[in-house]
Amino acid sequence: MTLDDAKVLVDAPGGRHANPARHRPDLLAWAGAALVLVGALLPWAAFVLPGGAYPDRATLQFFDAPHLVSGFRLHLVLLGLAGLAGRARRPAGIGVVVIAVVHLAFLIGLGAPSAGGPVALVGGVLLVWRRPAVPALSLPLPGRVLAWPALLAAFAGLLWLVSATLTAGGQSRATNPHGGAEFLAFCGFAFALVGVLSAYGVLTWLAALTQRHRIFAFTVMLACALLLPVTGAGTGYWMTVASTIGVYAATAIGLNIVVGLAGLLDLGYVAFLGIGAFTAANLAHSVPFPVAALAGAAVAGFFGVVVGAPTLRVRGDYLAIVTLAFGEIFFRAAQNDIGGLTGGVNAIPGIPPITLFGQAFNQPVGALPGGFLYYGLAVLLVAAAMVVLVNLKHSRTGRAWEAIREDEDVARAMGVRTGRAKILAFLVGATMAGLAGAVFAHKLGTVGYESFDFSESVTLLAAVILGGMGTVPGAVVGASLLFVLPEKLREFSDYRLMLFGLALILIMRFRPRGLVSSS
Amino acid sequence: MLEVHGLSVAHGAIEAVKDVSFTVAEGQIVCLVGANGAGKTTTLRTISGLLRPVRGEIVFQGRPIHRLPAHAVLAAGIAHCPEGRRLFTGLTVEENLLLGAHLRRDRQIEPDLSRVYDLFPVLGERRTERAGLFSGGEQQMVAIGRAMMARPKLVMFDEPTMGLSPIMIQRIMDTLALLRDQGTTILMVEQNALAALTLADHGHVVDLGRTTLQGPGEHLLADPRIREAYLG
Amino acid sequence: MATLAQQIVNGLVLGALIGLIALGYTMVYGIVQLINFAHGEVFMVGAFGAHFISLYVLPEGVPWYAALPVMFLAAVAVSVVVAMAMERLAYRPLRGAHTLAPLITALGVSILLQEVVRVFYPGATAPLPFPRAFPDGSLAVGPVTVLWTGVLALTVAPLLGAAVHLYVERSRLGRAMRATAQDADAARLMGIDTDRVTLATFVIGGVLAGVGAVLYGIHYTQIDTAIGFQNGIFAFTAAVLGGIGSIRGAMLGALCLGLVKSLAGQYAWGGAQYDYVWVFALLILVLMFRPQGFLGRPERVRA
Repeated sequence: MTLDDAKVLVDAPGGRHANPARHRPDLLAWAGAALVLVGALLPWAAFVLPGGAYPDRATLQFFDAPHLVSGFRLHLVLLGLAGLAGRARRPAGIGVVVIAVVHLAFLIGLGAPSAGGPVALVGGVLLVWRRPAVPALSLPLPGRVLAWPALLAAFAGLLWLVSATLTAGGQSRATNPHGGAEFLAFCGFAFALVGVLSAYGVLTWLAALTQRHRIFAFTVMLACALLLPVTGAGTGYWMTVASTIGVYAATAIGLNIVVGLAGLLDLGYVAFLGIGAFTAANLAHSVPFPVAALAGAAVAGFFGVVVGAPTLRVRGDYLAIVTLAFGEIFFRAAQNDIGGLTGGVNAIPGIPPITLFGQAFNQPVGALPGGFLYYGLAVLLVAAAMVVLVNLKHSRTGRAWEAIREDEDVARAMGVRTGRAKILAFLVGATMAGLAGAVFAHKLGTVGYESFDFSESVTLLAAVILGGMGTVPGAVVGASLLFVLPEKLREFSDYRLMLFGLALILIMRFRPRGLVSSS
Repeated sequence: MLEVHGLSVAHGAIEAVKDVSFTVAEGQIVCLVGANGAGKTTTLRTISGLLRPVRGEIVFQGRPIHRLPAHAVLAAGIAHCPEGRRLFTGLTVEENLLLGAHLRRDRQIEPDLSRVYDLFPVLGERRTERAGLFSGGEQQMVAIGRAMMARPKLVMFDEPTMGLSPIMIQRIMDTLALLRDQGTTILMVEQNALAALTLADHGHVVDLGRTTLQGPGEHLLADPRIREAYLG
Repeated sequence: MATLAQQIVNGLVLGALIGLIALGYTMVYGIVQLINFAHGEVFMVGAFGAHFISLYVLPEGVPWYAALPVMFLAAVAVSVVVAMAMERLAYRPLRGAHTLAPLITALGVSILLQEVVRVFYPGATAPLPFPRAFPDGSLAVGPVTVLWTGVLALTVAPLLGAAVHLYVERSRLGRAMRATAQDADAARLMGIDTDRVTLATFVIGGVLAGVGAVLYGIHYTQIDTAIGFQNGIFAFTAAVLGGIGSIRGAMLGALCLGLVKSLAGQYAWGGAQYDYVWVFALLILVLMFRPQGFLGRPERVRA
């Protein structure tokens, strides 16, 4: 299909008039892109700031060494170029605005006047404002010869993006006081990059390609994920951060089954992570890890059925409140060291690291950093959770859940055994969280009730909603965002929950299907 | 008095009403006839401001009203007696009637209440009982009385005889004629085309969202297409 | 025996305070079928509003009978403004949206408000002592003693509850509220501006929560940012227990809940540390087996 056909198809249902600006060159938008490019090359601070790589490059130095356009100024150049071509103006503009605002705020905080900042900011605003009404391209799907290399390249790119995002701004405020700003600016760039690719239809194309070559894509993705330790993120610190994210991501996927697929809002979900963790912690000294993990999953699954049982009688908002009540009961019980199983306020300390075949998981293996094994385990956990989610989504059960989510009465009338399906959702979700909890306990070495309070349930829910309910990558993206951000922005840690609350409100208002979803 | 021009209304992606036009002259009873799903109810709901049109306009007494909220449409003088009556079944008859006069602040509310009770004595006798306890025909009386309590210039009735006995249907139709004679303009939607068109001064056949036929009620009654489609 | 009587009185005082919050829950649910999860925070910000006025605005040495009305006004003002803002900005745009969206939004509003107060209110990261704006001491009836603040709560809460009941039953706006609760579309055809009715419901909820907040503060003598969430859950439980949508039910449910918490803390397994657990267990059981509550009519409840 030609471009014009696509345009007609998109425009016809709404009956909108074609944007007249599309046919004439949009001078203001071009001016915006040009301003971004100029802004990137202008000095960002009027004097050389002491210490650190990035402020040096924010000076007149560029004119001595033009090949040194790197860091955020390189990002600005790339986004400015993307803004020249009409299609991706809006995401490119948003990226420019984020980068410019973050750096400007930082520079103003240092009392440094900036030339490049305001120029780029104006350019970015122009780009956002003069967005074109051009639909995304629809790219043809290639045959296998091209598809496999394309997927390889795509996932390698994703690996680079993840690694770069993870390490952006460094790991410690002591060595890099402007790490927070650098990280946020990089996030702006990453967001813009994804947006630009989406505007050119690359994301839809990749999704279709992944769908067609599902097994190959999954293998490559798994391989890429396991390759993270050999990138810049391959230090013990980043491995620990990444494996924590992995555990929460697996838990979030479990929640996504309950909330996203079956439409049952669970406000006490973190309790299952806790049950798995406490079970594994109690068994840690007596049985090998796989047994403890299975026990954790089984106990959590059992309680999942217990919590799910009211779904036979209770629906909708009321069900959400029931799950909240269960979550609070678990929290209070754990706080009071019920049956001597949770350690109460003293927590359960001294849980040994996982040891398999004589290898403790917290020790380095060969040249690989310490924590690599935990990271690998977390990746496998997430991969397994994704496989379960995908398979369930496209199964008979998945269709039953979908029917229940849309209209429970109709589902029942169509012969769906709604009670069984709903309890199954709780069972699967809880089991997954229990398994993640077992890893969680061993990885941390200490488990206390505070890790499972209501705000954690909310965070997991926010992860699912942010990523898009019911989507496969959604929970992973959401969990990564919600657990990387606080790690990266410790100076904002006080605002963490506040921002989550705001995010929930804004997403429900403007993007109820999540950030990742295209519709 | 009421002019509807090229009205289109959508429920989500589906256009339930497409390009409907008709006019209602003052003092008339005008009837919209059409099969189920033809968009009659949607048309009335749009006129009363519960729905927003995609295209077209609605002019009442020379004033466009299609962008007004429901309470402003009622204040302009259009009352709507909805499909299925939609009484507040948990409230008493008198409360239902007073809700009809919700927007009024004048002193004539009490006399108007008495007039409704005069018209339908059974309502006056049981004014403190919950509306949900009444029979279908009596509930329709409450609904008509409730619409009249707003002192509207035009009342829209949506299926006022649905589910009623033939005697009750006649009673309701007589009441509508009485209202018209007292100076209230009436726009109604009726499945019961025979009864409606007998009463109506003017009829519009709405089909698949478009107005296909129109004319004085007795002409439509005589039209072979109407006879075949709606009168059997 | 004396302990039992004492615990009953303690439970009734808690119940009276919870009842004021429960009324807000139940009325909002009745009108827009929304579990306004953030209603507890309306109560919480009211308490902080009163705290603020008393600590930072009122000059020192103001006698309690002058300070208390000002604190009530401040709490009510803050609660009402927050309640109105949440209705206009968060809930109204979602009307008719997909089913989970309003509840998730309510959750977001709740967290946002809690955190805003915790981070920005001076000293709110820890519990704050509430001004003693009422005579100390207590009323002794036989072996039972009730703080004067408890007596105040037990007097004011039922009076306010009755006032709201009368208002909804008798006034023009109350009639519009009941009509909207039953059938919002039909209410709009009666010329009722349902948006305004909804807003008015939030305002009434805010007034009650504000009054309740001051009564709570002077009785329990300290406040923190979590009181909204905790008591909000209690109030929700109470509203469901009494039959959500029913005004008398909310008051009745709240008194029952207060008794359950107080007596379970004294006599049930696990003692006071587990009193919350019993309340939550009660909530689950009620939702499962009698979701229409004591006084609710089944057809008004989305099971």
